[in-house]
Amino acid sequence: MTPWMASGLVYASGLALTAGSITLLYIVTRTFNFAVASMATFGFYVAYTGVAIYGGLPYQYYPLVFLFGSFLGIVCYYGLNRHLLYRQAAEITLMMSTLGYDLVLLSFIQMYADFLTHTYRLFPRRVTMNTYDFELFGERAAAIILPIIAIVFLTALHMFLTKTKFGVAMRATIENPILAGASGINSDKVYLVSWVISGGMASLGGAFMAMAMTGSPTMGMFTIPLMFAGAILGGLTSLYGGILGGFMIGMTEYAGVFYLSQQLGPWVLGYRMGIPLILMAVTLLFFPRGLAGIPLSKYLKSLSGKKRGDGV
Amino acid sequence: MSSEKMNGIKFDPREFFLRREVMVIIVILALLTFLYSSRGVNIILTIFIDFAVFAIITMSLNLETGYTGVPQFGRVAAVIIGAFAVGAIPGRIMAAMMGLPSGLEYASDTVNFRLVPEITALLTTSYLYSLLFLLGSLAIAAVCGAGIGWLISRPAIRLKEAYLGISLLAFGDFFMWVGHNWTGLVGGSVPVNVPDPFRIFGGMRFTIIVLVIFVIAFLVFLYLQKLTKSPFGRSLRMIRDNDVSAGAAGKNIVSVRTQSLVIGAAIAALGGGLYVLYVSSVASIGFTRLTFTFWPWAFMMLGGIGSNIGVLLGVFLLSILRTMIVIFRYQWFGFLTVFGIDPLWLEFTLLGAVIIIVILFMPHGLVPEKIEPMLPKSRVRRVLERRQLAKEGAK
Repeated sequence: MTPWMASGLVYASGLALTAGSITLLYIVTRTFNFAVASMATFGFYVAYTGVAIYGGLPYQYYPLVFLFGSFLGIVCYYGLNRHLLYRQAAEITLMMSTLGYDLVLLSFIQMYADFLTHTYRLFPRRVTMNTYDFELFGERAAAIILPIIAIVFLTALHMFLTKTKFGVAMRATIENPILAGASGINSDKVYLVSWVISGGMASLGGAFMAMAMTGSPTMGMFTIPLMFAGAILGGLTSLYGGILGGFMIGMTEYAGVFYLSQQLGPWVLGYRMGIPLILMAVTLLFFPRGLAGIPLSKYLKSLSGKKRGDGV
Repeated sequence: MSSEKMNGIKFDPREFFLRREVMVIIVILALLTFLYSSRGVNIILTIFIDFAVFAIITMSLNLETGYTGVPQFGRVAAVIIGAFAVGAIPGRIMAAMMGLPSGLEYASDTVNFRLVPEITALLTTSYLYSLLFLLGSLAIAAVCGAGIGWLISRPAIRLKEAYLGISLLAFGDFFMWVGHNWTGLVGGSVPVNVPDPFRIFGGMRFTIIVLVIFVIAFLVFLYLQKLTKSPFGRSLRMIRDNDVSAGAAGKNIVSVRTQSLVIGAAIAALGGGLYVLYVSSVASIGFTRLTFTFWPWAFMMLGGIGSNIGVLLGVFLLSILRTMIVIFRYQWFGFLTVFGIDPLWLEFTLLGAVIIIVILFMPHGLVPEKIEPMLPKSRVRRVLERRQLAKEGAK
């Protein structure tokens, strides 16, 4: 693998998880979660604290990262989102409320970075997590391990949503909240679980992304437009669309910057954010409902000769 | 309700002091007196400048979000354009007229730091030059802002609310990175200096700037007050409340929204330009969405979405609180330094907490939007009286 491909894979897996987290929460609760930025940064800091103070590899702290993200999600749900959902607040109000939560978390992150500097004599404002990585088959281990973790995690999520009773109940709530409530599904529990999963996903994504970029307290704040771009590219209607969108945004950013800087010179590096945004704009131009709006199953079925609605 | 009250002739002190606007103004005055007695007049002037610049930006946001219903999460884009325009264009024009280098090299730091003092020296020779430079800069900022507002409005009009907000946010960030990386525009990562039209006042510079920005903020307030009470303002609110019925009533939704975005962007660019003239340098990395999008949103939400007076009071109150955190951070939150934490971060906590508290407990803000009748009360009464007379005459 070329270097850009290795870091691109790591970065794109992280973006896929964060974009998936945004999409999942939007589908279930109509909330555009700004706090993903700070949740991701917190995920990075949990992993960093682990390796810097207690040693070991970053990967062994990922369960802790997930739990911490879930905790942040639960706090947001019970402290804020729940009241607004029962008040049937407008989409913009929901979005603004998570923005307020994000800013509070951002201030805590900054304070925590100060605390680490003061108490443990670390340098938490410019961190290259790569230095804690090891080599595997002549590659950086992150480029192999992180995509595998992401795939395992997403498969588990898929199994949870399709094979367990609660997962099916969750999908029912997504499809039609009123009907699901009438058939006895506890929507409160569904909302809570979606916050738990998406909070954990966001933190995990942040910990992933820190393996490919410089970790800093404002890391999430600078990358959140790309996370949103991934979610929007995915169409905001399907979890898998969001994950794919995030992955595509991450990969095009790395590939595009690598290719263009070879063609045009290194000044392109400064405008790297423009590449995924152009991709998003162009995709939305042709498919206004994002990747999920591309009628892929129709094409596939027409190839196999089956009629629509044959098997559900 | 008694008839005296309806006429508004009788002054009821109890009702007057219980009005929310008055209560907020009393709190603001109390805080200002406290600051003045403990820190002197300079801190008051700083608060006034903060207030005036952010009042202009927040009122423009209120026009787009509060009156038109566009979730403008990219306010920083128009502010940046105003700032860059003032940083890049008027200085170049002056340099070209004086026969100095005015191309891309104008923004390079080795040239710029010798050029700008020369231009400022020329401006200091005459009040007329300074005034023309100031007005010209502001006009350029407003025109560029209007242009970018129109450009952004083209794709934006057709998107839905959340999509629209996020796209606007992404474009705002993109502009910041362009300014940060394109050294030919405003110096990239090295701040570019701006000729100072206020230098001519010497020691009075600071006070004059406060006055000028204050007057411009007041003019913007009057203009927006007039605009939102006009038939155009009524169609804005009609579209915000129900765009389908507004369309059925014959309003051209796209054109009205575009006009609102263009006017809002021009005003915001004016705010950005004034800020740059006050600081007298442009550092593009300083125009973050935190300062110029999220703070204005917090101001607007605290003050009351869709109410210009409320927005002014919200900006004033929060600016004071923000400054107080900066001033008293070691006195009040000194215990944090034990852990090595800089209490300055509490600014973000305050910002987030204000947004959360307003949303949870005061969804309409300090001064909620008033339902304004189409005609003033006095005219409605006159019409009714005339009708009464006509009825009696018929009998």
